[in-house]
Amino acid sequence: MKRFATIVALGSLVLLAVFLLYPLALVLDASIRIDGTGAFTFGNYAAIVKSRYYLGSIGNSLLAAALATGLACAIGIPLAFCLARVDVPGRALLLTLASLPLVLPSFVSAYALVLLFGHAGVVTTALRGIGIPIGSVYGMPGIVIVFTLTLYPYVVMPVLAGFQAVDASMEEAARNLGGSQSYAVRTVLLPIVMPAILAGGLLVFIEALENFGVPAVLAEDRPFLAVDIFKLFAGESDANPAAAGALSVLLIACTALALLVQRHYLGKRRFSTSARSAPAKLALTPGLQLAAAIMSWGIVIVSLLPFAAVLMVSVLRFRGPVLTWELGLDNYATLLSGSYRPLLNTLTLASTAAIATMLIGAPIGYVVARHRSRLSGLLDFVGMVPFAVSGTILAIGLIVAFNSGPIVLTGGWLILVIAYVVRKLPFAIRSSSAIVHQLDPSLEEASINLGVSPSRTFASLTVPLMASGLVGGVVLVWITAASELSATIVLYSSRWATTTVVMYHAIEGTGAGLAAAAAAVLILVTAIPLLLVNRRVNKQEATVI
Amino acid sequence: MTAIRIEQLTRTFGAVRAVDNISLGIAHGELFTLLGPSGCGKTTLLRMIAGFVEVESGSISFGDRRIDNLPAHRRDTGMVFQNYAIFPNHTVAENVAYGLKARKVPAADIKSRVDKALERVRLAGYGPRSPHQLSGGQLQRVAIARALVIEPAVLLFDEPLSNLDAQLRTEMRIEIRQLQQALGLTAIYVTHDQEEALAISDRIAVLRQGKVEQVDTPERIYRMPQTAFVAEFLGSTNMVPGVAKAFDGRNTQVAAAGTEFTVRGEIASPGAPVLLSLRPEALRLADGTDGPRVQARLALREFLGPVQRLHATLPDGTRIRVSALGGAAFDAVPGAPLVLAYDPAQIIAFPAP
Repeated sequence: MKRFATIVALGSLVLLAVFLLYPLALVLDASIRIDGTGAFTFGNYAAIVKSRYYLGSIGNSLLAAALATGLACAIGIPLAFCLARVDVPGRALLLTLASLPLVLPSFVSAYALVLLFGHAGVVTTALRGIGIPIGSVYGMPGIVIVFTLTLYPYVVMPVLAGFQAVDASMEEAARNLGGSQSYAVRTVLLPIVMPAILAGGLLVFIEALENFGVPAVLAEDRPFLAVDIFKLFAGESDANPAAAGALSVLLIACTALALLVQRHYLGKRRFSTSARSAPAKLALTPGLQLAAAIMSWGIVIVSLLPFAAVLMVSVLRFRGPVLTWELGLDNYATLLSGSYRPLLNTLTLASTAAIATMLIGAPIGYVVARHRSRLSGLLDFVGMVPFAVSGTILAIGLIVAFNSGPIVLTGGWLILVIAYVVRKLPFAIRSSSAIVHQLDPSLEEASINLGVSPSRTFASLTVPLMASGLVGGVVLVWITAASELSATIVLYSSRWATTTVVMYHAIEGTGAGLAAAAAAVLILVTAIPLLLVNRRVNKQEATVI
Repeated sequence: MTAIRIEQLTRTFGAVRAVDNISLGIAHGELFTLLGPSGCGKTTLLRMIAGFVEVESGSISFGDRRIDNLPAHRRDTGMVFQNYAIFPNHTVAENVAYGLKARKVPAADIKSRVDKALERVRLAGYGPRSPHQLSGGQLQRVAIARALVIEPAVLLFDEPLSNLDAQLRTEMRIEIRQLQQALGLTAIYVTHDQEEALAISDRIAVLRQGKVEQVDTPERIYRMPQTAFVAEFLGSTNMVPGVAKAFDGRNTQVAAAGTEFTVRGEIASPGAPVLLSLRPEALRLADGTDGPRVQARLALREFLGPVQRLHATLPDGTRIRVSALGGAAFDAVPGAPLVLAYDPAQIIAFPAP
């Protein structure tokens, strides 16, 4: 049993060392070298501190992430409370819809904002037509809105679980001992959900900080960290890999710090969450009940509206950059007339990555959950590192690492798959270890006791038992890999361009109709498999977050 | 023939010695029980024999063959788990066949052996069913069939009945005992339930903090506990501290609880502090027959159906429990004086700690 765990742990650590730690080390290394000569320097960091542009970039990114976190909590906590404690009509559907923004590509939502409220946006034009001026959505406001509307489920899911985990008897005990309803909420309910709020909020913060697609679409010329790193590394005119490295290290430092704070805080505050009887729904006046229902549905509908808008716009005709109200599939024709290749690439790359991720992640998750040792602890930690590394930075590291030398991967499909696998590995590990935690360890012991070796027991008993849970994980990895932009945009070659790349270039250029069609395809590609395994995935998302 | 020899076995977890230099010999065909409170090391010891906990030092042998260096799947033990551990993705028959397949038994033999094993545990015809269609007691029978069918060198039971309700528990332990005897298999049985241990075992080892307190037959463990711990753990005995007086050639007088007890044999030198174990059923309400007696007062009476338990206060205020038959007419009210009679041979004395 021990040998099996050791083999898995060592094998995975080697893979992670080669495809995660080594590339990251090269990025770190680039940040402390003079570009060209390779001499040691802290000059790149000094240049950033002296540059108003880069300081602005860091400031903008942190500010956008902080504002998005605050707003996501502001709408996520009340929504979670209503879902847990108020009898909202259509609660089950609401719950499903509320988790959708997490897996739909956020830059599609950003693009929808441009379509509606941009310079030539539908709403902008219409309002101007009747003489109402409208402020710009570009820059901070638009970015914060999109982050909030796409990331708030990270707050809703754990906080909802927290509210539901408070056993009815706790609140009853508080009331019975003479506390008022609000006193019970303050002294029992909030302390119990506080760790969940913090956990969700920090996830929003990290995701917003690392996100490349949304600022790439909405920032225009305002500096944002993730976009600047990409431009400094891959830009045609002002490439500066050393500065890109330094900014990357600063970004990783920010996310790693946030993760460490979260770990430290949560480590001390774990409440056993096994409610025997869920707390009763609140008895509200019809007015309040209606208000709660309107607010809950309102939040979810508003967050999904951009995606609906994109789907609608994709079947309208464009004349140049200007949208007309004529129906037609011209946009799709343009998208596919170029080549089926990008769509095919998206499907094959996502499928390969999803299967590979779960094949690697499931044994790691198993070992991390079942075999406590120093080695598995190390594996658990390294396996979570990708959380703190944005896709762009990982991609840059992979390019630097595998552009020359014994293994050359740049320009091929494998480097894209590797990037997806590494990025989604923390999710795969978490979800499989959550499944393993629910499996009774004595099942495996019974199998071993009956004469089946540990590795064969894992393959023939544990994997089939995990299978139903793993399917959900594969689908979620598939979806997020299919809509991945930040690493893809750095790593793709013309032969292996994906739908997200097509869309990105269409937005950058003037192909508004093309972008809408590509965005619609992405929405369909992600939403359909999700709906197929909906219930299973819902459950899993909750456990993983 | 599988006799088991355990020699100087030790296992520590951090600072805790879960199994502390234990040596035991178990004869072929014996049902040997490891009994003790939770945390005494009984489950660790069983899991060391099964191969799920590594041996730190010492050895385990089945017959002449040392097995503690074999991986768990090659030890040829059949284990019955506390929570059954029935594979939910296999049918009942597949569960029972699992170990046979691992042993590459020909398919034709598997079928007949599975059927026979299911018949043995009174589950004939349940083979095609899915485990979730079975009750807890039936699942436990499947687990037993699955362990028996491979004809293991040793059967291991890890608190197999603790998830069943009280009545099923007493039925199942009889079935387990009869199967084990019919097949002539050596078995090690872990439990914290003293009644279960007394009812089922050939011999019992009482464990405490990783060490063996006493190994003996159920009768001797109960009647002749060698340590105060064993006396207290088996049956709810009354422990009364006292001081030994002179030995009169047959009995020793012990001053305790403000009165005096007569104990058979020379239990200690005069003046030595001792601890007396007075079993509730060794004391009875005096009925005119001969024998030593003590004065007490009734404090509380619990009527339990077949028996009633009297809580009595000895002269210095020490509380003891006395069992009386439930049918005995008894109308004393709390505070009334009681005269308790006893047989000096049934009182056990231990040197005071």
